Amino acid sequence: MLIGIDVGGTFTDGVLFDNGSIVTSAKKPTSENNLKDSLLQVLDALLINTDKVKIDRIVFSTTLVTNLLATGRGQKTALILIPGHGLPCLSYEISPDTYFLKGSIDFRGRQIEALDRKEILAVADKINNSGIKRVAVAGKFSNRNHSQELMVRKIIQEKYPDMLVSISSEISGKLNFPRRAVTTYFTAMTLTEWNKFADEIEAALERRGIKAEVDILKADGGTIPLEVSRTKPCETVFSGPAASTMGAVALSMDDFNSVVLDIGGTTTDISLIISGQPLYASKGARIEEQLTHIDAFAVKSIPLGGDSLVAYDNGTIKVKPERKDAAACFGGKWATVTDAFNIYNSMNLGDTKASVAVLGQIADNAGITVDSLCSQVVQNVIAHLVANINGMFTAWENEPAYKVWEVINKRKFKLNRIIGIGAAAGAIIPAVAEKMKVDYLVHEYSPVANALGASVVRPTLAVNLHVDTQNQVFTVDPGGINGKLDHPTKFQLTDARELARKYLVKIAQDRGIEKYAADSEFYMEEQFNMIRGWDRIGKLFEVGVQIAPGFIEEYKGVKI
Amino acid sequence: MKPTGILFFPAFDWAISPTHPEREERLLYTRDQIFEEGIMDLPQIKEYQPGLADLKDIARVHFCVPDIESQITEAHLISAGSALVMADAFMQDEVKNSFAIIRPPGHHSMTVSHGNRGFCNINNEAIMVEYLRKKYNVKKIAIVDTDVHHGDGTQEIFYHDPDVLFISFHQDGRTLYPGTGFMDEAGGPLAYGSTINIPLAPGTTDSGILYVMDNLVLPILDEFKPDVIVNSAGQDNHYSDPLANMAFSAQGYARLNTKLAPDIAVLEGGYSVETALPYINMGLIMAMAGIDYSNLSEPDYKPERFKESERNLAYIKSIVKKQLDLFRHREEVVAKNRKDAEYFHNYYKQIFYDTDYIHEEQQNRLRMCPDCCGFRIINSSAQHRNGQLYRVLCIAIPVNACQQCHAEAISAYADMVKNGDAFDLIYLQDRVNDEYKVLDITSSREIVL
Repeated sequence: MLIGIDVGGTFTDGVLFDNGSIVTSAKKPTSENNLKDSLLQVLDALLINTDKVKIDRIVFSTTLVTNLLATGRGQKTALILIPGHGLPCLSYEISPDTYFLKGSIDFRGRQIEALDRKEILAVADKINNSGIKRVAVAGKFSNRNHSQELMVRKIIQEKYPDMLVSISSEISGKLNFPRRAVTTYFTAMTLTEWNKFADEIEAALERRGIKAEVDILKADGGTIPLEVSRTKPCETVFSGPAASTMGAVALSMDDFNSVVLDIGGTTTDISLIISGQPLYASKGARIEEQLTHIDAFAVKSIPLGGDSLVAYDNGTIKVKPERKDAAACFGGKWATVTDAFNIYNSMNLGDTKASVAVLGQIADNAGITVDSLCSQVVQNVIAHLVANINGMFTAWENEPAYKVWEVINKRKFKLNRIIGIGAAAGAIIPAVAEKMKVDYLVHEYSPVANALGASVVRPTLAVNLHVDTQNQVFTVDPGGINGKLDHPTKFQLTDARELARKYLVKIAQDRGIEKYAADSEFYMEEQFNMIRGWDRIGKLFEVGVQIAPGFIEEYKGVKI
Repeated sequence: MKPTGILFFPAFDWAISPTHPEREERLLYTRDQIFEEGIMDLPQIKEYQPGLADLKDIARVHFCVPDIESQITEAHLISAGSALVMADAFMQDEVKNSFAIIRPPGHHSMTVSHGNRGFCNINNEAIMVEYLRKKYNVKKIAIVDTDVHHGDGTQEIFYHDPDVLFISFHQDGRTLYPGTGFMDEAGGPLAYGSTINIPLAPGTTDSGILYVMDNLVLPILDEFKPDVIVNSAGQDNHYSDPLANMAFSAQGYARLNTKLAPDIAVLEGGYSVETALPYINMGLIMAMAGIDYSNLSEPDYKPERFKESERNLAYIKSIVKKQLDLFRHREEVVAKNRKDAEYFHNYYKQIFYDTDYIHEEQQNRLRMCPDCCGFRIINSSAQHRNGQLYRVLCIAIPVNACQQCHAEAISAYADMVKNGDAFDLIYLQDRVNDEYKVLDITSSREIVL
């Protein structure tokens, strides 16, 4: 049996899934100050009448790290940057405690300027004197050569063994120094709190006698073992929207182009599934207005949900971007979007009379009929959703392209279907689909698709290899591994693929997810001849291999 | 404040040949540098997606022999099309200025294109200029060619056009391809002074080039008052460029662009792919976006490394004085030329296509019109690489042609349709009506774009 729990901003959802169907589900309000309790309450609700021994796996997604960063409760962290030449240092002042060091590496991983040991020690003293015990270090092009970052960490820790130093080459190997610095900084800020949380969860599970595998959902729609997540807290951000999108994929399990509308009480999250694969945000997750190197789905969140208020203001009917309560038909006091759809589509949701009563007041004020009011609200909501959906398509179609092939074969999003999930999907999705003239899917599991998605997704792992045959070196991300090539002159693309795959298998083994390594696929390949004069002096390769988002073997879909 | 538009199209899957300077690797390290810096994430920058030029955009400038398709690859359509995307972004006020970091380049391509010369088949800036005039009705445009090689293609295309000011500074043609760009190349008889060449001695440094900017280019632009300024932004004046011999730095290029403040910059040459391009492109982006670039330099750059000699500076001063004088007296010269003119101004031209080894011969006839800058008839012949000899007649009507020139050119085409047996192809480039015709004499097939 599988358990999936999504600790969302408002509610925590959980499901117990077995043999193709949901055995039981649970929903509790999330207590923002105690996410662990919210999680455990839902877990305990799921465990009533369940044999704990039969639970094979628990996956949860949580907003803990997002909340820590948003509320400034992360640990005070100093950021040490080695920016070299280029943009002014000013552009990189991410932390209030930012320090800059001499030193520089170029795009080929060559050292341009050496570090200054005295300067490093002086900075370490300053950090220590200001009472800060956590340090993030990031160097420009450290993804091509991590030696300066390693040296800075070594020098600081020799003098101050109690300082915890995170270095950027171990956090991400992608180009983009500011994003790497931000990601390292946020990692350093949240590491301790996240580990405390992991300890508490482990202890709580042990008390309950649960020996299941425990995984954390990541923003890229895959899982990592709780143990591995201890060094990578930032990868857990935005796992809620990832849970919903993977839930939509889990409900559909086909190769269509779909748009996923996760319509909650307050907001709607829009994401795209292209040929059965969720679309990633091209620039990585944005945390606290800062771009990071966290792989995340492209999710657009708009302040419009099933419980959004309907009001008559200054002579116009408005749908307000705020929620006060549940819809009137479900016991709330105010007229909401759900109430309008309830009447407009004669859906008989909950207490229809209550819907009519609250809408009737507004219609009277506006001097129109209830039908006319509902019609206006429905058209308004549909237009808003459709405009945002189309905006997602355009943004995807207009991504920059760097190859002739990509421009000539310009992509065009052809929508096959809308998948509705979240509590209010049933009321709103059919009308949106009708307007866009496409099919839709709203499943009986749609209200808990997020938790369902969490319970059945498999681990993901993307390994990126960069090879420079002239300098006879290679680097591997994740982990910031630097290595020496054995036979640089004979090295070809097939060797690069083999090397990348070897590291994927190795890292998968280290994480205890090696059984998924056989499913890995190459998602990126680049090779360039380096010509100086008229001769080839070497080659550059960039190869990416990944275990893509998907589902564990025992999951074969649900009945539609 | 509006952002700076950047369109980065490195054409990672296009090369002239595997070891050619114009190869896949050319903008690889530039990609690494600008991505690693994270400059595209800044609010001062807006990144754009490449676009495709129409065949008609190309026909507005070029007579491609035997047809456009055989002179270009898809990469050329994207490169030219991307310059147009940047032009649109600027004209539609989405950005304060824009920079197309694109390849393949174009500034050696002339009006008639029999093949590739100087790594260029079609002229990106010229295509953009005619597009600006057609789509946005822009009147006066200045192109400042900052490539180390003389922008002979762009010069030839606008040689008779007084509304397009072409200024090129470059390494002296006696020492470098294409062997032109001397001071006496100053524009046709009716557009005298709207071409300004500044041949510089090999080894000229930042201070020499910036002297030219301050004392010649900027004063001329000030007096010409262009509606749009284009930087034909080559990067091979750099001290490390393998194909040229100048001593300009990334800082120098950045400062040049701060001074010039181009509305649209379009990348041309520059083949020091590792030691110069990443830093010059950063410098250009930062200068155009108004970002402080004092922290930018090449790894091996030392400010004291290059110093302008007194002798060279004196030489530069003499050029500046001469060319400023030429520019300021241009209207008198044009008036005199008009007065003394015969009906047609005839001249002969030989053009060598270094990449494709083609020798072209041209007879040019320019109508010395009293009312406009005149239509032009080009009689061109060249043997292509496949052995085929092409004789073509091209009639070009400028966008601002007077009614009489327009009518005469149209009737010249009609006449050649009947009596053009000596030619393989007859072209009519009617920019007034934005209509472009080519007639294949053997098959009598006419294609109209």
